[in-house]
Order: sequence, then C-alpha cells, then structure tokens
Amino acid sequence: MIPVENFLILAAVLFAIGVLGVVLRRNALIVLMSIELMLNAANLTLLAYGRARHDATFQALAFLVVAVAAAEAAVGLAIVVGIFRNRHSTNLDELTLMKH
Amino acid sequence: MDEFPLYLIPLLPLCGAAINLLFGRHLPRAAVAAIGCTAVAMAAVLAWKAFALLEHAGPSGVLTASFFEGDWIYATEASGPSLHIGAGLLFDRLSGVMVLVITTVGFLIHLYSTAYMEDDPGLARYFGYLNLFTGAMLILVLGDSLPVTFVGWEGVGLCSYLLIGFWFDKEQNAYAGRKAFIVNRIGDFGFLLGMFLLFSATSTLKYSELGAADSMGALQHAFLGKWSFAAIASLLLFVGATGKSAQLPLYVWLPDAMAGPTPVSALIHAATMVTAGVYMIARLHFIFAIDPFVLAVIASVGAATALFAATVGVTQKPIKKILAYSTVSQLGFMFIGVGVGATGAGVFHLVTHAFFKAGLFLGAGSIMHALAGEEDVTKMGGLARRMPITRWTFLVYCLAIAGIFPFSGFFSKDAILAGAFAFDADVPGFPHWLGFAIYAVGLCAAFLTAFYMFRAYWLVFGGKFRGDPHTFDHAHESPPAMTVPLVALAVGSALLGLLGIPEAMIAHANLFEEWLAPVLASGHAESPHLSAGLEWGLMLCASGVALGGIFLARSLYANGISPTADRIAEGLPRLYKIVFNKYHVDEIYDLLVIRPLRAVARFFWKVIDGLIIDLILVRGSALVVDLVGRGARFFQSGDVQRYVVGVIVGTGAIVGISANWTACNAAPFEVTVAGADVTVHARGMSPGQVARPKNQQLEYSFDFGDGTGEGKPQPSSVGKHHYDAKGKKTITVRVRDPRWDTRSKESRTVVIPGVPAEGRGGVR
Amino acid sequence: MGERIAFWVCAVMIIGGALMTISRKNTVTAVMSLVMTFFGLAAIYTLLSAHFLAAIQILVYAGAIMTLFVFVVMVLNRDEVAPWALRGIVGKAIGIGALAYTIALTVLLLGSTPGFLASTRSYKSGPPPEGWGGVADVGNILFTKYLFAFEAISLLLLVAVIGAVVVARIPRHVEVAAPADQKPAAGQGGHG
Repeated sequence: MIPVENFLILAAVLFAIGVLGVVLRRNALIVLMSIELMLNAANLTLLAYGRARHDATFQALAFLVVAVAAAEAAVGLAIVVGIFRNRHSTNLDELTLMKH
Repeated sequence: MDEFPLYLIPLLPLCGAAINLLFGRHLPRAAVAAIGCTAVAMAAVLAWKAFALLEHAGPSGVLTASFFEGDWIYATEASGPSLHIGAGLLFDRLSGVMVLVITTVGFLIHLYSTAYMEDDPGLARYFGYLNLFTGAMLILVLGDSLPVTFVGWEGVGLCSYLLIGFWFDKEQNAYAGRKAFIVNRIGDFGFLLGMFLLFSATSTLKYSELGAADSMGALQHAFLGKWSFAAIASLLLFVGATGKSAQLPLYVWLPDAMAGPTPVSALIHAATMVTAGVYMIARLHFIFAIDPFVLAVIASVGAATALFAATVGVTQKPIKKILAYSTVSQLGFMFIGVGVGATGAGVFHLVTHAFFKAGLFLGAGSIMHALAGEEDVTKMGGLARRMPITRWTFLVYCLAIAGIFPFSGFFSKDAILAGAFAFDADVPGFPHWLGFAIYAVGLCAAFLTAFYMFRAYWLVFGGKFRGDPHTFDHAHESPPAMTVPLVALAVGSALLGLLGIPEAMIAHANLFEEWLAPVLASGHAESPHLSAGLEWGLMLCASGVALGGIFLARSLYANGISPTADRIAEGLPRLYKIVFNKYHVDEIYDLLVIRPLRAVARFFWKVIDGLIIDLILVRGSALVVDLVGRGARFFQSGDVQRYVVGVIVGTGAIVGISANWTACNAAPFEVTVAGADVTVHARGMSPGQVARPKNQQLEYSFDFGDGTGEGKPQPSSVGKHHYDAKGKKTITVRVRDPRWDTRSKESRTVVIPGVPAEGRGGVR
Repeated sequence: MGERIAFWVCAVMIIGGALMTISRKNTVTAVMSLVMTFFGLAAIYTLLSAHFLAAIQILVYAGAIMTLFVFVVMVLNRDEVAPWALRGIVGKAIGIGALAYTIALTVLLLGSTPGFLASTRSYKSGPPPEGWGGVADVGNILFTKYLFAFEAISLLLLVAVIGAVVVARIPRHVEVAAPADQKPAAGQGGHG
C-alpha cells in the first residue's frame, strides 16, 4: 500500500502549480483553470486523509467541494464572458479597476 | 407670614428681562420701556408691602420664602457633612432696607432711562439687561444662604459686564466691560474660597444657621496654622467684597465702567451693585467680628481707598470720572463703617449714598444730555440758568455728599466717623491709635469730597460757558421723565438723614440704627458710645472740614477756573501729574499682571497650541495617516494576482507558525555512553522551535531496551540510565505534544561496553 | 508493486498536465492538458479507494466543467502575445517564496518524518474495509449527517446558474438607449 504521505505531497505540488498559474498568468481563463487545479489538490488531500482514517466523511466533503467548484467555474466563466464583452480582453493586467 | 410671595420680587424684573430680551425687538419702543418700568414698579410695590408686613412682625420677625420646594444643590457623602442648599429667600430688616433701596432707586432710574435712552436702537436690550440686573441684585440681597447670594452676585457681575459694554461697537467700551468682569472674577474667586471654607467648618451656608452658636464655635475653634477659620474665611470673603465694591486694590474697573450709559452708572456702579460687598459684610458681620484683626484690615482698606480715590477725584476732568472716584471713595467710607464695628452706620451710608450718588449720576446724565454728550467739566459752565431743576437738585446732592447739615450725608458720614473715632479695639499687628488714624484719614477724605464735588458743581453751573458756544445754544432742561427722578432723589437725599439722627442731638431718634439693631446686634458688642460733648465736637469738626472744602472750591472755581487753581497745579507739577494719572495704578497693573499674563498666553498660543498641538499633533497625525495611506495604497493595486500573493504569504505564515506549534519530532537524539552509564539527549523539536507555554511543554519518555520498560513521561529531554549488563541495546525515545496530542517515536541501537576497567571511553 | 507503478504514472500525468495547463499559450491546449490532469486524479482516487469520487471526477470535471471551459475558449479564443503576468514581479517572487516555504515545510514534515502521520491519534494502518468509499457509503453520510449541506449546495448551484445567466447575457439597455418616443413598443419583445 502506498503511504498516505505520498498523496499528500502530490497534492501539495499540484496546489503549488495551481498557485503559480493564478499568480503568473495573464489570461483569465488560464487563471480559472489554475483555480480548478487548486481545488482538485484540496480534494486529493481530503481523500488521502479519509483513507488514512478510514472515514468516508472526507469523501462527502470532497463531493461538496466538487459541487462548489462547478458553481465557481460557471460563475467565473460567466464573469469572464461579461468582461470580454465590455472590454474586449481577458487580460488580467488590464482589469485593475478595483483600486483606490 | 409665609404666604407672602416674596419670590415675586426678584421674579418680576426677571420676567420683564425675559420679555424684553426675547421679544423686545418686535415690540414698540413705548411697550419696551413700559414693560421695563412696570416690572420694577411692581417689585417695588411688593417690596413696600413686605416691608409693612415686616414692621408689624416685631423686632425679630422675618419673611421667608423659597423659589421651589426641596434642595437646589444636594450632595451627600457616606462619611462627612452632607450639603443641602435650598433656593430660599430671607426678608429681614437688613435685606428689607436693601430691597427698598434697590426697587425704589431702581424704579426712578428706569423711569429716567425711558427719556435718556429714547433714541437708542438697543432700547429693548437695554431694558432687558437693566431688569435682569435688578432681578439679580434682588436675589443677591434676598438670598437666605451664601450660594443663593452668590447667584445674584454673579448675575449682577454679568449684567454689569453687559451694560458697561452696552455700546460694544466701540472697542474701548468692550474693553472696559471685560476689565470689569475679569477684575470681579478675582474677587469672586475669594468669595468662593471663603464660602467653601465656611462650609468645611460649619457644614452649612445658611445665614441663620451660620449665626447659630455651634457654627460660630466651630469657626472660632478651627484653626489653619495660627489663623482661625473665621479669620481666613472672612478675609477671603472680603477679597470678594473688594472686587465687587471697588476697594483697593481691585477698584480699577469702576472708573472704566463709566463707559456704559449714565443711568447704568447710577444704578449699578453707584447705588446698588457696588454696595453688594458692604451688604455681604453686614450680613455676615457676626463672622467678621470674630477676629478683630479682620475688622481692622477692612477699616484700613476702606480708609485708604476713601482717601486715595478722593485725591484722584480732585484732578479728574470728565464728570463721570469724578463721580466714579467719588463712588470708590464713598464705598471706602462704608467699609470704614463696617470695619470699625459701626455696621449700622455703614449700611446707613449705603442707603443715603444710593440716593445722592444715583442723583449725581442722573444729574450728570442730564447735563451730558443737554450738551450733546460733553463730559469734560472744564468745557462747561454757566448752565445754572439753562437747567434750573438739574442745577438745584445737583446742589442738594452735592451738599448731601459733602455732609452739610441737615442733608442725609451729614448724618451717615458723621456716624461712620464717630464710629472710627471710637474704635479702639486692641488689635495685634495694628497700633492702638488705629481708630484715630482712620478718623483723620476719613476727615481728609471728607474734606476732599466736599472740595471736588463743589469743584464739579461750580465748573458746570457757575461762571461762563467754556465750550463750543453752538452747543450752549442748544442746552436745555431735560424732559420730565428725567427731572422727576432727579427731584425724587433730591428729596430722598435731603431728608433720609433724619432717620438716623445721632443720640447727641435728640435721644432715641436714630430710627435707622434701632430698626437694624435686631439683625446687627447679635455677634458683637454694642459699639462704644461717645459722650455727647465729644460727639458734638466731632460733628462740628466734620461740618467745618466740609465747609472748608466747599469754600476752597468756591474760591478756585466759582467763576470759571481761577488762575490760582492753575498755579497750584503748576506749582506741584509732579504731584499733580501723578494724581492726575490716577497714581499710574493701571499702568502698574499692566506691567505686573497683564503683560506677564499676555506673555504666558502668547507662549501657550505660539508654542503649545501652534507648534505642539497644531503642527506636531494635528498635522503630524494627519501626516502619519497620509503616509500610511500612501504606503497602503501600494497594496491596493486592483491587481487580483497581487492580492493572491498576499493570500499566499499569509497562508505561508499561518502554516509556518502552526507547524512550529503542532509538529513534534523525536529525531535525532544523541547518546553518550560512559561505561555502563548512558545519557540520552533528545532534541524532540519541531523545525524552528519556538518557546512554548509552560503547560504545553513536550513530554519525553525513554525506553532503554533492557526490560525495565518505558519510563514515565517527563518534561526534560535528557534521559539517564545505568545498565547492569553489557551488549547491544535498543533505546527508544517517545515524544508527545500535549497541545495536539501528536506523538513521535525514534529508536537507536547502542553497544554498551560494560564497566570499564580503567578510564572512561565515550562513544557516540 | 502494481499499485506503486500506477501511483507514479498517475502522479506524472497529474503534474505534467498541470504544468502544461499553466504554461501553454494556446488555451485549447491548456484545457486539454487540464483534462489529462483530471483523468490522472480520477485514477489516483481509485487508488485511495474513493471509487464514487473517481466517477464524479470524470463526470463533473472532465465532463461538465471542461465542456464549459471549451465553450468559453471557443467564444473568446485568441492566442496571447505575452502570456506571463510579470507586473509586480518582486511581490510575486515573495509570494512564490512563501509558497515554496509552505510546500517545503509540508514535505519536510511528511517526507522526512515517516512516523509523523502515524503518530496522530486516528491514523489507521492497512487498507480500508471492503465497500468503503462506494456510492452507498458516501450516500449514507451525505443524506444523513450532511443533508443540510447537500441541500444548501443544490441551492448554491441554482444561484450560480441564475447568476451566470445574468452576468453573461447581452444587456438589454444597450438597445433601449434611444429616446422613448421614437420606439414606442419595439424594445419589449426584442431579446427574450
């Protein structure tokens, strides 16, 4: 059996890649995808712990996370479409209106 | 008796003030004047009625009333005296006399004002203030306790300020008002302190209770250093009196107060308010009489003021200034009276002075009215024929103040001087001839009084007109509203003295003293009586001195300013100059008090307020906020990705810190073997260990692998063991973190060489 | 051993896919790489005995969410000239440093201390019992203990659907901007 730690480390790395994508990419679509990566990393962590504890509650939580991720993706993509329609760009560098 | 609505006496003028001040601007001018006069007239009628009731009540009768039931000021303490002050009024023989004077003279002056202030745009304001003053003054004299009196005391001070600066569009007038207010505050401070001291000794401030035996005893036997409470409290109250009654050294505001309208000078700064100090001392005479030293101080200050102000009055040119210094001087006489124990005489002089000095001021107002506001007596003259009523009444006042028989001033001044002559109380710190010295000073002052008053009289009415002839052509007698009060006051000035005929003339004819005797008798001994011959001698002496002053004035000023008068002034240039400039007292005060104060104020303005508060604190804090804001604005870039970075950094910090808290790790540990003894140093640390609280220390337990089993958990990370047999041993260390109940275990195998024969070998 | 190989294959698939996702200029490539990652994750879930979740992963992520992404990419597909957002690079470097620190800490705790996880109280060694992680197991928990959360999530999804429609639709006021008297009733039926 593979030790739980392996899954956890894998999740950590996946999460880190997601963060890098969010921080470093300009394209709002890619950023949304990176957020999905991070959510999946979180799911993976939950499932790993669930296995380690033989507790199916973690899986229920992961299920809820999936549902939330679906809602997030839908709204996020809608916003991206809306912004694109207004500004003809999905470039995050240009979307800096939320400031002083 | 109790049903008499005493509270209406001060309330009526106050109501008049409220109406005139609130709605006066929208009322016709006649209505304003009518309201002002009616309010005081009604108060006067009530006062006479109360007076009649009092007369029926016998020698010890009093009328009492209260503005409202229960306590006005109320404070209790678990231990110590409790404070209960009601808003009570007391109408006894002393305050009754005062109320009569205030309402009667006040009414006459109100009447006079209707004509004098006829064309003034601020008529409603004027009558409002005047009524307010009358109400406050009535509260002052009617108060049955010091706090109630103090309300009136402050009220009249406020009205005085308002009326001195009535024509406030002239900076000089506003300045005079401020000066009066500030100088009075110094006195009021003394008054307050005296009041507190009295309360601390006696736990009461009611006049009737203060006079009770136990309060007097407490005052006499409580000492602060070598001074009795009574002495200190009386001296402090006297400071208050010097402020209000314009005595040395706080008299400086009164001459400047002439900036107000002339009827105001007559009412406030001659007849009523300035006598408040005398009234207060008379009211509390039993406390002042406890320590003869205090009385000697009062009499000395009074005498000094009387002479000092009289000398200044001799040289002044504006008629109101002459009268102002005359007032200061006459107030000095009153203080001599209350100081030498002739309290009744002091109060008597207060009453007569109220009439003739009010009359003098009103007469001066009439003259100025006729001469288009001209004040300088050296630019008047020859008005006798133009203004006959003013002239004859003015003459009566002058005779009264000079003390010519049988005018009122003769009797009251003579009573005071006789009291001073008889004053031989043995006071420590004062020479035994103090009484005689005060008498002599008083006589000098009386001489000067006669002189300067008749100087003014002849300069105004005698000789030929010295001013602008055009003005003279327009000079005319004043309207009846002004002459009627003049005549009424002249009658009073002429006849009031008959209430106080001395014993030497007609036995038991001193009605005034007898009237006041029940109030003033308690507390101190009967004032010493002089033999009839001596008293006659004193009277003749005083009359002679007064006549001398009049004749000197006549010879110098009867036909204009004679060359002799100028020669005298030129012959004594320095003396004349100093006196003319009022002994430079204002300048000295300016140098000693005002300038240092201004320097301090300037320092606080420029350095404390301007530099420290405004610049460093206010602008500095704004600057800090601005800088922080500028810094913080950098973080709010609107760039979502930067915000994510913030989240990451925060997460990293949380994880880093909590990792320090949660994880514990047994490995690696060090083993030192010395023969059969092993020492285990377990680090048992998490990465980047931070200090832990005491109840969350890691717990270590050691298993040395020789069948002794696992040891008990211990906070120390050092384990020691002695092996009985040599060989390979497995040492296991367990660490537990009590905070999260996480555990960690680490094992290592060591070789125990057994007990060494020689030396010690350490193997790791 | 087979398990181990499967794990590493999946791990490579996941990490590789993820790296491709964040590094491609072409959005379509990125989406496809993401799909690869999701498949890898689904496989990993089966290794963790979470069979139900593995199925959900395929259905929801690879099926629904990715379809959504592909649609949007089709709508706004344009290659980027400069894909990397290098603005505020110092701050980002600090952030990445913090991230690295966090990961390193995790790895240090988990990797270098083999007994760490096992030392926690509720850790159980050995494979889970038969049927664990199946639909019955998860459904049992979801519809009993977490029923409220489940219903709340369904409401959230409804809100998200309405919200997405509201945000993404073409706003009507663009057309009605003309003066009212010129177009009396034309604006009413225009865009249903």
